[in-house]
Formats: sequence, structure tokens, C-alpha cells
Amino acid sequence: MSIDMRQFYQVFFEESEEHLAAMESLLLGLDIGQPDPEQLNAIFRAAHSIKGSSGTFGFTDLAEVTHILETLLDRLRKHEIVLRADMVDAFLAAGDALRTLLAAHRGDGRAEPGVVAAVCARLRQLATDGDAPGGAAAAGTPEPASAPSSESGAPPAAASSEYDIEFLPSGPAAADPSIVAALLEELGEAGTLRVIARPPEGQPAGHWHLRLRTDVPPERFGESIDFIAERGAWRIAVADTGQAGGGEHETFGFFDAAPGVPADEGFGLFDDAPGNPRVAAGDEACGGFDPSLVPDPVLPARPAAAVEGTDFGFFEPLPDASASAPSLPVEVAPVEQGEGYGFFVPLPPVPPAPAASLAVPVPVAASVPAAEIEPARTGRRRAAASPDSASIRVGVEKVDLLINLVGELVITQAMLLQCAEGMAGEAPARLLQGLAQLERNTRDLQESVMSIRMLPISFVFSRFPRVVHDLSAKLGKQVELRMLGETTELDKGLIERIADPLTHLIRNSLDHGIEAPEVRAAAGKNPVGTITLRAAHQGGNVVIEVGDDGAGLNRRRILDKARERGLPVSEQMSDAEVWALIFEAGFSTAERVTDVSGRGVGMDVVRKNIQALGGRVDIESLSGAGTRMTVRLPLTLAILDGMSVAVGSQTYILPLSSVIESLQVDELDVRTLSNQARVIRVRGEYLPLIVLHELFGIAPAATRFAHGIMVVLDADGTRAALFVDALVGQHQVVIKSLEGNYRRVPGISGATIMGDGRVALILDVAALAAMAKTARSAA
Amino acid sequence: MTMTQTGRPDGAPPEGEQIAGEYLTFTLGHEEYAIDILKVQEIRGYEPPTMIANAPPFIKGVINLRGTIVPVVDMRIRFGLGKAEYTPFTVVIILNVAERVIGMVVDSVSDVLSLFPAQIRPAPEFSASFDTRYILGLATVENRMLIVTDIARLMSSRDMELMDEAATE
Repeated sequence: MSIDMRQFYQVFFEESEEHLAAMESLLLGLDIGQPDPEQLNAIFRAAHSIKGSSGTFGFTDLAEVTHILETLLDRLRKHEIVLRADMVDAFLAAGDALRTLLAAHRGDGRAEPGVVAAVCARLRQLATDGDAPGGAAAAGTPEPASAPSSESGAPPAAASSEYDIEFLPSGPAAADPSIVAALLEELGEAGTLRVIARPPEGQPAGHWHLRLRTDVPPERFGESIDFIAERGAWRIAVADTGQAGGGEHETFGFFDAAPGVPADEGFGLFDDAPGNPRVAAGDEACGGFDPSLVPDPVLPARPAAAVEGTDFGFFEPLPDASASAPSLPVEVAPVEQGEGYGFFVPLPPVPPAPAASLAVPVPVAASVPAAEIEPARTGRRRAAASPDSASIRVGVEKVDLLINLVGELVITQAMLLQCAEGMAGEAPARLLQGLAQLERNTRDLQESVMSIRMLPISFVFSRFPRVVHDLSAKLGKQVELRMLGETTELDKGLIERIADPLTHLIRNSLDHGIEAPEVRAAAGKNPVGTITLRAAHQGGNVVIEVGDDGAGLNRRRILDKARERGLPVSEQMSDAEVWALIFEAGFSTAERVTDVSGRGVGMDVVRKNIQALGGRVDIESLSGAGTRMTVRLPLTLAILDGMSVAVGSQTYILPLSSVIESLQVDELDVRTLSNQARVIRVRGEYLPLIVLHELFGIAPAATRFAHGIMVVLDADGTRAALFVDALVGQHQVVIKSLEGNYRRVPGISGATIMGDGRVALILDVAALAAMAKTARSAA
Repeated sequence: MTMTQTGRPDGAPPEGEQIAGEYLTFTLGHEEYAIDILKVQEIRGYEPPTMIANAPPFIKGVINLRGTIVPVVDMRIRFGLGKAEYTPFTVVIILNVAERVIGMVVDSVSDVLSLFPAQIRPAPEFSASFDTRYILGLATVENRMLIVTDIARLMSSRDMELMDEAATE
């Protein structure tokens, strides 16, 4: 192949992953008793898109599995067979098989051929099972490729049309006869197929000419042909113009405007193909193949070349065609279909975006400017293929670079502003105005740039219905998954890394939390258990809860187990401390080890992973009522609303979300407990006092409590007062990692760059409170 | 900064698979050190960093290097050499080691030299109090003794307290 398809592999992988994900969520959402035809169509489309593009890229194994999948789906949506629950499972399994195949092509992991074959066999089995009642068609039975007239499909409906199909196999299809055979088989299933012209036996590369009578719209089988022959190296024309132009194509009017051709002959552009009795005089106007324009070696093989029409010249000479005529399909390569007439005019390679590549190369009438048509058609096509294609794919590093640059811009802007303010009255008013405007603009810019990296948590949540579906079936439990707050946005980096811990938590809830239906019924509960996933923003954190209404944790058993494992425990431990034991390595209270969980790995990994993200996980549990695990994550790489405070020569940032109030206190409000711990009385409540300069060993400006200021903080539900020299101001700051080049610092959650270019450290309020506690107990 | 390129000694056979490397030399007090120039990102003037609470005294704090937070270590304090004074001429060598960016305060930067492995003699073993693990060897150039330092290993060592436990050796 003359163009290297590898450069598009990544796009293909990503798109296929998306299609698989879409397929899966649709499958899980299907109502088995009464499947929504629209959903079935959407599933079919997803499978079809994968098949189309995997064929294009030469991943025949993928195409093969999807082909079988698609056949079954197609019959489902045509109501030839009835949807059953085991079919959904088989589809899901097929999706998994496809995923492994994809991963194998990507280079990670290996696909087990046995697994894939088993999935295929299962799907075929389902297809035949489905046949029994209907007995309509023999889907999946291989049809001899050479069959001049395959009658394997359902008898064509009355409203069927006849299509002329011509193509030149390219890519892998040109080498492997079985691929073309599969296409013939597929076409045969769609209607009555006759092979009018074909290359010598056993030699797939060459010119194929088929005649198909079917009621299936041409774009459907067009897509199949598209992955055998490259775009531009195939075409479909309606032989029976009376019935053509139906369906969606009409709306675009591609075919209506051919000069001298009545509107309803829209598809007639290829009517002139030999063997078609309908070569009419009126069609000449749009006869696609002007022999005079085409270099000789190319077209003699093409039956269509003999036609007279000169208007469009679909086969305009290729600069290199005469040099390499025999390999036309290869050389013709990518063709921009919207380029008015001249399908074979060589153009720079067009990335074969799968959605676009599905488009049937439709002749464009000369009287309609090509530019107007193309966007309309691609737009429609894309909309059909994926509902939210109004997005672009950008590398994360590009976004990060953008964020960094904007951060720099904000700092520069702040510096300018400071500079102008330093000029006092000398700064012209217009300069100040301009700077104020600049400040607003940069702020907006920063916010929108930051939001690029934010994704809704539904990206993670969307995988859980499947997890719950599979697991509950495996464990024989009935579980309903409720998801709330799916639109909560968090940083892409977090999204990627929170998925595994959350999956663990859900599996754990399912396996250990939710009881078996009979146990639940005996306890007077609804036999169907509920797992609730909830995400929300809480201050500067994202809080994700995984709750179940199961049996709750068993304090007794956890304590026994802990003793057995030699962990230091006592009966006096608080519930929270007991629950926290399940995060210890190798701790599992499952009575028997299942393949789901129970090996005691998992929960400690969950905690480690969440801590690595700078988060925390807490457990609440009530015996008999359920368990709730709460994961709190910081919004890394977000703008933080901060309050800057001064201590000695240093400036620190407090997250505004944790600041409750600030106040000046009287020396007398500060009391000591057993001459060690200090507390402060604020509105009748005694709060522990954190003296920042003592904790950080800084020489303070305010040595007496009356000279400084107390900031009352909410540190994870407990309140504390922080003593600092002064409040400086309120800023939005960009959180920068301190660990990137340095290390984690106790009491500091990150760093930021201030308007003057200096670094200010962001205080970790919860850690400070804990530090103050240990400092006191050490004292 | 003066750049004196020492000529390649004629016929010096490359030892093992190594070939002559370029080294940046700097002084700490009266001692002269050489580090692999490929580890050096840039050299800049000293600006007061933001202090880090409860960090060892040789960690001066962090600075903003074009949007990145970079820790600054004063090697004079770390090795107890020279006076840790900060003048407009105090130099910070920005290193790129172990996928991190680290600033290192030194007295002055001297020059860039080519050294053949053969020119670097192993340093004699000292008592345990002086850690020779980070010294690749000693080199003599024009009567100057250069202490050729494995800066990446030094910076990622546990004693430098520059990295979290997991990342150190």
C-alpha cells in the first residue's frame, strides 16, 4: 500500500475503544423483553463502524468477529430473531474479545485465539438458534465465493432495487481471496447477488462487477465494500433507477441536479455499466468515464470505460496511473469524495476517519458546488455514527502546555498590574483600564483552558454497570446500581487513576456487602440490593461515595481476624478505627475465597492508590443497614481559591474552602490543657490552636496572640484555629506540584506562583491539624 | 565564564567503552568539582527561594523556574565548604537528574573540560564518615585537582532529602 496506514492506527484504536464502550453501555441499557429499535440500531452501528475501520486497517481478526456480531445484530433489529438475555451476554463477551484483540494489535497483551474462536462460535450458535423459529436465512454459512448467483439471503422484498457494484480489492483483500469471499457472502445475505465480471479464479485482486437486488439501502453494503477496496476504488450505482434515490440520500440531493437527467434518475450515474439494459440517452450527460481522459492501461479493464458521457469525467487521469496501471487500486488510494467530480483525482492522503470513510462515494452533480455538499453530508454521517462528535482529539501534553503558558501569562499580567500600581498617580488612567481589562481576559482564558482538562466523572462511572452486571450474575446476587452526580467534573489525570480503586470498592461492596437474595429476604429487605455511586464537589475536594445497603461490616469478625493476623487491636477501638483495619495488607474477612475477592489483596491497594492521588478513603458502616466508603480526592491541577496569609517573611496559601472565619483574639481566650495543648475559645466553643510559626519554625512578626490573627479552619469536619501574622489577600492560584522535582512536605499540599513570580506554598489544613496534635503529644 | 577546552591527549586509548566526556567544573570553597555537563540544564543567578518548613538547612527552598517549582540546595552548606553568602554573583546550577530539575548553589562556575576516562583516577577510600560513593574519581588538569562527582547519584541519595523515600536509592 502506498500510504502508511500506521499513522492512523492510534485514531483507529481510540475510535474503536469508544465504539466498544458505547456498544457496551447500550447493551447494558437494553430492555430484553422489549428492545428499543433505536438502541439496537445504535449497537449495530457501533459494531459496524468497528468492522468497517478494522477492515480498512487490515485487522482482519477484528473484522471477522465484528462481522459475525453484526450479522446477529442485524437480524435482531430486523426482528428476524428475538433478543434473549444470553445474547446480551454473548455480545458483551464479544465486546471483551474485541477489546483484547485491539489491545493485542496495540502491542499490549496477547489475544488468545481460543477465546476469540469460542466467542465467534457462541455468536454463530445464537444466530442458528434464532433461526429455528424463523427459518429465514442461513446467516453465517459460508457461501462459495465463485457462486455466480448467491441466493442465500432472504428473498428480496417487493420494494428492492438493483445495484451495480464494481470494486477493485486493495490492501489485505487483494491478497486474501477469503476476504472477498466473505464480502460476496455478506452481499448474498442482503439480497440476490449475481457476479457479472470477476478476476480469474482464486485471484482476488482485479476488477469485480456484481449485480445485487436487495431492499437494503446501498450505503449499508457500501460500507462493507469500503473495507475491501479503498475509497475511490469502488462504486455502487443503481441499476433500477425507478426505485433509487430513496431513503436519506434524497435529502442531500446529490443526484438530482445532473444536467438533463430527471430528478428521479439520481442514481443513474453509473447506469451505463455494461450488462445494464437501462443505458439511456439521458444518462449520457453524467456518464462517468471518459475514455479520452483516461490513460489507456488503466481503463480497458474497466467495462464502464466505453461510455460516452463527457460531463463529469470521474476517472480523470492520474499523474502516476500510467506508470503503474496494473496496480490501480493501490495507487488510487485516498480520494476526497467531496471534490466535485473526478473521484480519481489524486489528492493528498486523507486520514480515513472511520465515520467519514463509511460514506458511499456519491457522485456529485456538476451544477452543485461540491463545497456545499460535502460538509452537509459528512455532518449528517458523523451525527449518525457518534452522537457527540462535535469534539476534537488533542494530546494531553498539548493541553498541559497550554495550561502552563496561560499560567505564565497570568503571572506576567499580575506583575504588570503590580508595576502599574507601584507607579502610584503617575500611571495613565488608560493604562490602568487596559490592565484591568487584561486581568479579566486572562482570568477567563485561564478558566476555560483549565476546563479543557476537566472531564465528567461519568467517564469512570460508565464502566460500572458492566462490572455490576457481570459480577452479580456470577455471584448469584441481585443488585441495582444507582449513579448520582455523574456530571461532576474532575481532572483527566484523576479520572484515569481513580477508576481502578473505585472498581475494587464496587467489587468489594458486591461481594462482601450485598447479601444473597434469600438472606436479604429473610432479613426483611428488598431481595434486590442497591449499590449507590455518588460523586460531588465538596469544597476543594471531589467526594465519591460507594454505598451499599448490605449487611454492613462485622466488628466482631474484623477484630478476630486482626488478632489472628497479629495486628495490635483492642476492644476499645472506635468503629472507625476497626473499619480502617480492612485496609491493612492481606486482610480479608470473606468466609471463602472467591475469584471476585477474598484474597485480601485489593483494599490495601485501594487505599495506597487513593493516597497516592493525595486523597483519603473513609468507611462508615452500620450493621444490617449497609456500608459506605467515601473517597475524597483533591482537585489537582485545578485553580484553587486561596487566601494568602503571612507568617514572618513567608506567604502561605490557605484553601478558601477550608476557611470558616478569621478573627482577632484576646490573649485571655487562649488556654492551655495540662499545660501542653492550647485551645482557643471562639463563640463558646474550644478549638485546638495551631501556631503556624512554631510548627514551621519561622521567626514571626507577631509573637503575641493579640498582634496576629486567628483563622478558623474546617479540617475534615473538625475545626481548628490557625494563628498567623496577618491576612494578605485572596487569590485564585494554580496548584503546582511540589513533588515533581522535590518531595512531599508535611503540612504542605502543593505550591503556586504568586504575582511577583515567587513561589508560595499551599497549606494542607488536615495535615496541619494532625501535625499540631503530634507536636503537642510529643511535647 | 571562560571556556578552556583542553586538547585531547594524543593517542590516549579509550578505556573500555567510554570516550571523553565534557565536564562542568565549579568551586565550593577551595575545592573544585566536575560534573557531567549533560546533567546541567542551565546556570542562573541566585534569587531568594521560598523557604520550606522543617527542611534540612542545605535545602534553601523552592524557586519558580518558568512555571516549574524547583528545589534549591546549597552545596556549600551540604559539604560545609566556604561561606554560604549570597551575593549578586552567587550562581545556581540547574541540574536535570533522575527526571527532576534541581537547583544547586555553588561558589562559582569555572569552565567546561573534556576528560578521558583514563584521566580520572579512582579516589582513595576514606573512612565511613566521608562518603566516596558519589565520587567517580579525581582528575588533574593543569595542576588543579578536580573531584569528578556522580551528581545524579548524589542528588538522588537519601542524605540529600530531595526525594520521597520511594524514589531514593
